[in-house]
Amino acid sequence: MLGFFIKRLGLVVPAFIGVTVLTFALIHLIPGDPVLMLAGERGIDPERYARLRAELGLDQPLVVQYWNYISGVLQGDLGNSIVTKKPVIDEFLTLFPATIELTICAIIFAVGVGLPAGMLAAVNRGKTLDHAVMATSLTGYSMPIFWWGLLLIILFSVTLGWTPVSGRISVMFWIEPITGFLLIDTILQGNWDAFWSAVHHLVLPAIVLGTIPLAVIARMTRSAMLEVLREDYVRTARAKGVSPKRVIMVHALRNALIPVITVIGLQVGVLLAGAILTETIFSWPGIGKWLVESINRRDYPAIQGGIMLVATVIIMVNLLVDVLYGVVNPRIRHQR
Amino acid sequence: MPLLDIQNMTVEFGEVSSPFRAVDGLSLTVNEGEVVGIVGESGSGKSVSSLATMGLVAYPGRVTADRMHFAGQDLQAMSSRKRRKLTGSEIAMIFQEPMTSLNPCFTVGWQIMEALKIHEGGGRAERRERAEDLLRLVGIPDPGRRLTAFPHQMSGGMSQRVMIAMALACNPRLLIADEPTTALDVTIQAQIMDLLLDLQQQRGMGMVLITHDLAVVAEAAHRVVVMYAGQVVETGTVPEIFEHPRHPYTQALLASLPENSVGRNRLQTLPGVVPGAYDRPHGCLLHPRCPYSQRHCREEQPQLFGEGPFRHRCFYPLDDEGNPTYD
Repeated sequence: MLGFFIKRLGLVVPAFIGVTVLTFALIHLIPGDPVLMLAGERGIDPERYARLRAELGLDQPLVVQYWNYISGVLQGDLGNSIVTKKPVIDEFLTLFPATIELTICAIIFAVGVGLPAGMLAAVNRGKTLDHAVMATSLTGYSMPIFWWGLLLIILFSVTLGWTPVSGRISVMFWIEPITGFLLIDTILQGNWDAFWSAVHHLVLPAIVLGTIPLAVIARMTRSAMLEVLREDYVRTARAKGVSPKRVIMVHALRNALIPVITVIGLQVGVLLAGAILTETIFSWPGIGKWLVESINRRDYPAIQGGIMLVATVIIMVNLLVDVLYGVVNPRIRHQR
Repeated sequence: MPLLDIQNMTVEFGEVSSPFRAVDGLSLTVNEGEVVGIVGESGSGKSVSSLATMGLVAYPGRVTADRMHFAGQDLQAMSSRKRRKLTGSEIAMIFQEPMTSLNPCFTVGWQIMEALKIHEGGGRAERRERAEDLLRLVGIPDPGRRLTAFPHQMSGGMSQRVMIAMALACNPRLLIADEPTTALDVTIQAQIMDLLLDLQQQRGMGMVLITHDLAVVAEAAHRVVVMYAGQVVETGTVPEIFEHPRHPYTQALLASLPENSVGRNRLQTLPGVVPGAYDRPHGCLLHPRCPYSQRHCREEQPQLFGEGPFRHRCFYPLDDEGNPTYD
């Protein structure tokens, strides 16, 4: 297991190099200039422009800039935001809990609905319920996030008035960050009104963000389940007199979970990508919204640092999935 | 009263309007302590009929029978809940593929104890002890440690021993063994067969032994049912069937045994294959492959002729010399 772990970590290095090269190259391909963006509409005199560029190191060749950046990263320094002058890592860590909170709730929603839906579809294969689940999940999978989010806002926030349109919590509340997760912080401070406000704000974005993973999980669960239900050991369980419910919930599900867990792990990347759109639509003060704003301001260090940290998270989650895999599947756990 | 009494059982798959009959009018009785062998080629309906007896034919398969009694209880009339109480405890089954018949995600001990838990309850420690005893009973060394082993850590022969232990967990009165040795090494086959027969005799279980190994049947069974294309073609006692087969198919099966070809260059075979869903012939199902078939065989399907345990489905049954009796 340890050797396996180290091997996986070794693969992380080229992945990181790839991510930094790619983001660096892409950012410099976008037309625009952070100094001009900072100057705003009034413009800037050429002398001051040149000085600012030199200050930011933007006058040097790209290769040198990349080298400067990488050597900083290797020393744990992601640089300072051009706009706010604060260290990128600090900004990231302040905003990250909001994204994590949203993503975790989206995963809970996706797994909580997708897994049972896929199981029900598999057990009722070929019947109306199966077709309904599969059609719905195909629709969910094909739905563009921004459009789906807007539809839900129009229905639930504007027409029905059940949920707020945007934000993370009502402006009436000020919650001192302890963990950074509003749902936890409000409970820790015993402020139930604030907790419910946070829940209200969270529901729609979590549903929007979780829709595509939900569809993927439901379809994967269904096909894994159908395959497992044909296995000899399922027949053995039935021959033992195990009730149909227990056959599905215990004997089949455990085996069907193996591919489903892999898919859930892969969905984390999709979720963080989706968070960029979802946070923008719902003005959710997380990493996604911050990245979009940084791109608009051509805030190079913030974009590079942000994307690298997000990539780190995705890589970590996939490592975690590999470990979980072993927990569910004894054949992997016992490989030496 | 026989332990298992099945009359005219039919198992159908596919469309109701044009079904495929995997089992066609099977009648089978097994007495307490008796071993009944079911033989036939692959595709002759042996496994499906045993699954139907266990109540394991899943939708869209349809099982019908004039009578399906186990120890005087009507299996068709009882609720599925009540029937589940019988399956795994009073009637148990072991399968052809031991390696895939155990759940890879659970330990061997867990899987044996589950059978005990479902049917007998009892405490955890007691179940553990029983499971250990069962593993010892089926000849697994160091049973205490083996309880925590996963199926992938065991060989095929070991797995089949575990399957046997699991089937015997609740002291069944009837054991259905569906080709229990087919997937195993030849050297292991004899061990497993000996183990099964020992346990059958010790416990006085009724046993249905499905196999295409006629040598095993000759050694182990009291009575034999020969199946072809879902139908029973001949039944009888072991000596009678082996000495004087009445049905040409039984004769051909026996002739194909390697020991009956000693001194010849080639094994004797019956050309062709068992008809499937779409190529069932009119008349006697065997006639395209039968060396003795007449016009009558092509036109009409024979019934089961004969009395008592001796039945055959042939218009021109073979005489004691093995020649057809055309009159």
